[in-house]
Amino acid sequence: MSALGERDAAAVRDVLAALQRDVEVTLELGPSATPVTLVVAGGRDIDTGAETHRVVEAVCAESDRVTLAVIEHDEPGPWPRTTIGPGLEYLGMPLGYELTSLVHGILEAGRVESSLSQSSLERLTGLERDLTIDVYVTPT
Amino acid sequence: MLLAYRLALASPRVTARGIEASEFAVDADRHGVHAVPAIVVDDRYAWAGSVPEAAFVERVLTAVSA
Repeated sequence: MSALGERDAAAVRDVLAALQRDVEVTLELGPSATPVTLVVAGGRDIDTGAETHRVVEAVCAESDRVTLAVIEHDEPGPWPRTTIGPGLEYLGMPLGYELTSLVHGILEAGRVESSLSQSSLERLTGLERDLTIDVYVTPT
Repeated sequence: MLLAYRLALASPRVTARGIEASEFAVDADRHGVHAVPAIVVDDRYAWAGSVPEAAFVERVLTAVSA
């Protein structure tokens, strides 16, 4: 059974229908370097790797333009890690609002042209060194 | 998070990551994250909250030059 309900699956399919090119998604799983216990209502512990696998697999299955590779690590690390296309990363379970971010991240990676404004693109051309942006979120 | 992704796709100099704060609570605490979305640029807390695209770009560039 898909991790997405019928309505969510249809919505994901509609979004990914706009992909203009193929997108590769890589999911890395393994023991967490900083383990935490997450519990859902009812007291069940969440297996974050298995849950992420189910969700990412279900999303990728909604478009022929999206391929999924799954890598299992033995060593502890920042898993689960989902990498979209040329290097857009998401660490953790993409649930709730972040499921939308995952789907739209795939859509962005599948665009031929940037969806940023011309003025933003011009500002970015002035960057003189590499930088990393981390965005902390919660799945609400 | 999508804005960070858009910047990363638009510039080879930008790397973007979304991080689920409760699963990576140690990292979130280390960066002083108390509200989300929280933006950390080059391992330094920058700001919390959603902002329009132009402001996002300017804040990132300001954080880099600080």
